[in-house]
Amino acid sequence: MSWRVGVDIGGTFTDVALVDEETGQIGIAKVPTTPRDFGQGVVQGLSIALEEHGIAASNVSLLSHATTVVTNAILEGKGAHAMLVSTKGFRDVLELRRSSRSSLYDMFQDAPGLLIPRYCRLEVNERLDAAGEIVTPLDEGDIDAVISFAKENKIEAIAVSLMFSFLNDVHERRIGEKLRAALPGVPIFLSSEVLPEIREFERASTTAVCAYVGPILESYLQRLAAATGEMGLPDLYVMGSSGGVFDVAEGLKMPAMAIESGPAAGVIAAALIGQQLNKPNLLSFDMGGTTAKASLIKDGIVETTSEYEVGGDGNANRWMNGTGHPIRVPVIDLAEVSAGGGSIAWIDPGGSLKVGPKSAGAEPGPVCYDAGGTEPTVTDCNLTLGYLDSNALLAGRLAIRADKAKVAIDEHLANPLGIGSDAAAAGVLNVVNASMAEALRIVSVERGHDAREFSLVAFGGAGPMHAAELAGELGIREVIIPPIPGGFSALGLVATDLKRDYVKTHFIPLDQADPAAVNAAYAEMEASAKEMLRAAKIPEKDWVMERSADLRYGRQAYELTVPARAGDVTPDILAELAQLFHEKHRLTYGHDNPDETIQMVNLRLTAIGRFDEIELGLGGGTGTSAEAQKGSRSVWFRQGGRQDCAIYDCAKLATAAEISGPAVIEAVDSTIVIPPGWQARMNETGHILMENNNG
Amino acid sequence: MDNTAPMSPSIRTDAATFEVVKNSLYAAAEEMKIVLAKTAYSPLLKVAGDYSCGLFDADGEMIAQGPDLPIHLGSMPDAVKAVIQAFGTFVDGDVFIHNDPYFGGSHLPDVNIVSPSFHQGDLLGFACVRAHWPDVGSATPGSYGAVTDVFGEGLRLPPVRLYAAGVLNRDVDAIIFTNVRTPDERRGDMNAQIAANRRGSARLSELAEKYGVETLRRIMAEVMDYSETMMRKFLLELPDGEGRFEDFCDGDGILEPGETEDETFTIRMHAVKSGDSLMVDFAGSDPQVAGPMNAPLSVSTSGIYTAVKMVVDPNGMIPPNSGCWRAITVTAPEASVVNASFPAPVVYANHEMSHRVSDMLFGALYAFLPERVMACSQGTSSVLTLGGVDYRTGESYVSYESIKGGFGARPTKDGINCVAAGISNMMNTPIEVLEMSFPVRVEEYSVLTDSGGAGQYRGGCGARRVWRILGNQTRGAVCCERSKSAPFGLAGGQAGSPMRITLEDPDGGIRHPLSKGAFTVAAEGRIVFEVPGSGGYGPASKRDPAALADDLKNGYVSEEAAKSDYGVDG
Repeated sequence: MSWRVGVDIGGTFTDVALVDEETGQIGIAKVPTTPRDFGQGVVQGLSIALEEHGIAASNVSLLSHATTVVTNAILEGKGAHAMLVSTKGFRDVLELRRSSRSSLYDMFQDAPGLLIPRYCRLEVNERLDAAGEIVTPLDEGDIDAVISFAKENKIEAIAVSLMFSFLNDVHERRIGEKLRAALPGVPIFLSSEVLPEIREFERASTTAVCAYVGPILESYLQRLAAATGEMGLPDLYVMGSSGGVFDVAEGLKMPAMAIESGPAAGVIAAALIGQQLNKPNLLSFDMGGTTAKASLIKDGIVETTSEYEVGGDGNANRWMNGTGHPIRVPVIDLAEVSAGGGSIAWIDPGGSLKVGPKSAGAEPGPVCYDAGGTEPTVTDCNLTLGYLDSNALLAGRLAIRADKAKVAIDEHLANPLGIGSDAAAAGVLNVVNASMAEALRIVSVERGHDAREFSLVAFGGAGPMHAAELAGELGIREVIIPPIPGGFSALGLVATDLKRDYVKTHFIPLDQADPAAVNAAYAEMEASAKEMLRAAKIPEKDWVMERSADLRYGRQAYELTVPARAGDVTPDILAELAQLFHEKHRLTYGHDNPDETIQMVNLRLTAIGRFDEIELGLGGGTGTSAEAQKGSRSVWFRQGGRQDCAIYDCAKLATAAEISGPAVIEAVDSTIVIPPGWQARMNETGHILMENNNG
Repeated sequence: MDNTAPMSPSIRTDAATFEVVKNSLYAAAEEMKIVLAKTAYSPLLKVAGDYSCGLFDADGEMIAQGPDLPIHLGSMPDAVKAVIQAFGTFVDGDVFIHNDPYFGGSHLPDVNIVSPSFHQGDLLGFACVRAHWPDVGSATPGSYGAVTDVFGEGLRLPPVRLYAAGVLNRDVDAIIFTNVRTPDERRGDMNAQIAANRRGSARLSELAEKYGVETLRRIMAEVMDYSETMMRKFLLELPDGEGRFEDFCDGDGILEPGETEDETFTIRMHAVKSGDSLMVDFAGSDPQVAGPMNAPLSVSTSGIYTAVKMVVDPNGMIPPNSGCWRAITVTAPEASVVNASFPAPVVYANHEMSHRVSDMLFGALYAFLPERVMACSQGTSSVLTLGGVDYRTGESYVSYESIKGGFGARPTKDGINCVAAGISNMMNTPIEVLEMSFPVRVEEYSVLTDSGGAGQYRGGCGARRVWRILGNQTRGAVCCERSKSAPFGLAGGQAGSPMRITLEDPDGGIRHPLSKGAFTVAAEGRIVFEVPGSGGYGPASKRDPAALADDLKNGYVSEEAAKSDYGVDG
């Protein structure tokens, strides 16, 4: 037997997921997260998981990990003592940013954080022009000044980002050589290596993020790899933000890739479910205690974006002129809203019903946890309406206080609005569902996709409870609840491939592009990719190279990415790119301009090292739906109000068992709500498929 | 927050449905913005974001503004009302265009595209995008010349029907694109505006489909009532009082015969807050001037609204729409610099006067709300337009940039360095994009040392930006303020550094042009902008020594200034 093991660090728990490569059988273990030293929790979780499932370390074929170390270092301002080297005149590029403020009317807003303080930003005299030609030669003496400063100030990492280095890296390379020779042990990040892409602020920011988090990621991963190596486990892989894993050495070359690796895992797991169930078009919906995340999978491919900021509060919106630090690496396109079980409902001074952004979090938690919370939360509403079991024990220990939840709802919502508790609680769900539907809308309808052509995969502790209502809101007919929805994200870690994204700006009108030059640019990236795959010991037969290009109309500023056919680049392949671009522009924005010149901006290569495919599944119970029914209770539904509703035990449901709504299915780590008019069926691998039969 | 507040009598829809539909309306306005930014052609729109998107009811009242420029808060409804007044009846597929500051516009470069929104034959309202076109004709590329009447400022379009039931009116189209420079680029921008409107209208129609036309109309009205209720409630919580403030502008860019200095002029403001309303009066302000520093009243009003929202609603709880402003009254003498009469030229005043009155309101309210106001910010959009022939392609170009300085110091915090303040929120253009698009090389873009006004809380620093002109000469124009009246401090804080413009000719000659108007720079000449820092708050002597040490270490404050302004030896 051989097993794949994934470890996902969450805010409260560290989840370990195990999958048997042959049978697809899955297992989960949970241990408390250890914020002071995340690695400790990881090692502990691994030991427990292996022991519980009787697996020898030597039988583990793949070990993969999603880390929050990078994001946390930025959020907490605990990154490395880093410096930035810029072209003369531009040391403030990180501070000047794009000059817009993130909050229009907030007089007391804070300035965006700075990863590298001003005194640690040095300039070198040099300049390239917009064609990449040298205007001012590089002053070698300035490099020596950088070296002296770094030594004197005990600098831990250096970012180098010069003007137009994406067109010509000669000066950055020279600086890199000298710094690396003079400062052994200090990681040096060159923007031309990290991100050879136009736009000086975004490129410098990505490079600075690498320098700021690089040393921390390095010490973390090396310690962890040593510990897992000692346990006899195989080489450690890390999940990247674009949804593939990379090995430790590759990650240290490009630490920005490790941002947002946890949420990416959930989407990858959803994509795997889609493949397994032969449903290539999915909307993935992950709802936990404080946030809900939506993402889109089309034709089996997870959508990514290169417009992302880390450490800001802007990603919930469509528009990020934000507070965070842009990183221009592909990140799974997630729309996130601060809405979760802990979100607090309130009435604003204008008389409107609001949910969030304040959350009761884990402390004190919802009112019903009876740990000091007094303001009604989404969870309290779910409890009051009967979706959650008021007799259940919280974490197996504490009784849930439904009475207190109802009092809070009455006092804060129902009485001021002059309506009943059910109506108030239902109103809260209406508002929170609409804001989550908006997140799903952003990744689908706004990107030119018809949500009705997708199935909704819902997971996270609270996802399956809200899924059917959300689907109804968007006209989606089918909902899929995977086995173990609460720990589902961790499964994505073992269900992915090795992946690395490369980009190279190739700035030329498409109709003037020389196929040979385009080919050469792809070949250069492919050479790096092959080296990376070889180093990661991926057999050549499992290599996949996917080419794409960022194009826009000549005078636009934002590109759309279209796939490029493999093989030697010919005029035909370039013409095909133009065709694909016009189509995508029409799909995304509603119009295209076939007579307008197309500008080629970036060439992209995604290098993939395929792992063997696996299937995920959970042996189901043996019971018919009647046998799995454990009782009934009064539950409120939008269709028909309060009604008697059957309650089922998920673990007892056998394959092909069918349940008609209204019903509630209770699983170990989640509750699945089936409204009237919906039909649910347990499939052979432990997934519950729900279908809307309402009009 | 008072959670037991009684439900507003103005909302009859249930509170949850109201919240959901309200959010959908604002999401729609935001989505319009995305479509516009991602499909527009000129850097000004696509990367700098100089535009606003909104949804309006059938009477032209604004229901929802996107997260766009505060400068357009008060004047967008006029753009839609002008179309209603001019035409009255509409069919699906109509698109209107106009830019007349004396009939629904703000200044000629701001071009309004207005589209009626229908659902199955019912008129729901309108979508409108106001976007700054980098050129609308006139003698100066960029349309920022110092002229003496509105006829000289460029192509002036009253509301005209650009599309009738989806069919392009080729006559109108031809007139427009014959009269602007770089017409292909302008057409791309116009198409982006139309696409944004189409997206907004589609979402309105979806809402009508889901909730019914009548319910949607009712909620649209209630959204405005809701904002009014919130605004009044928040005003009521503030103490009553009154305050006055006087300030002067650099000039209008016109040298009268015999003058060697641009003549300054004065604005006077009286603000009275009483109960749940606020009155702002400009009595005593100077009569309108010869050059384009005259603001239509709706432009002055937008500046006031911006400052009011920052004072009254810093947490952004009140959605911006027409209802917000029912509690605010703004009055100004006819034919004054803050209430222009036809045919006074207006182009500079659009941002320079709205910046000015916005900062002045903080100064006036300081008298009785010292903890709720901030010191003066950069106070200018610091605009540079360049036009000429690109030596690399032989094609003509027009570039428009706005450089941001300091954001004012607050009663509890320093100001912010180099970020848009007040009525503006444009982004800068990435230098690499700029240099690929236009024949210039930016040689410096940096935070300007000692530019933030000294204070217990230091003002935000301004910026220095240097352009070298390449290949051919360029025809430039600037529109700046605060070169003579530096951004004021409050509570004993010092003023920020003033605006400075320097032209360096290739032969070594140095010129300091007026703060407004056009000039020519030869190839290899340089243009240097030093954009104002903001005022400080509180006396410099009370500055935390650790904060000052940090400023010194990072070069935000020099040792000389530490000594002269803070009395500290570095």
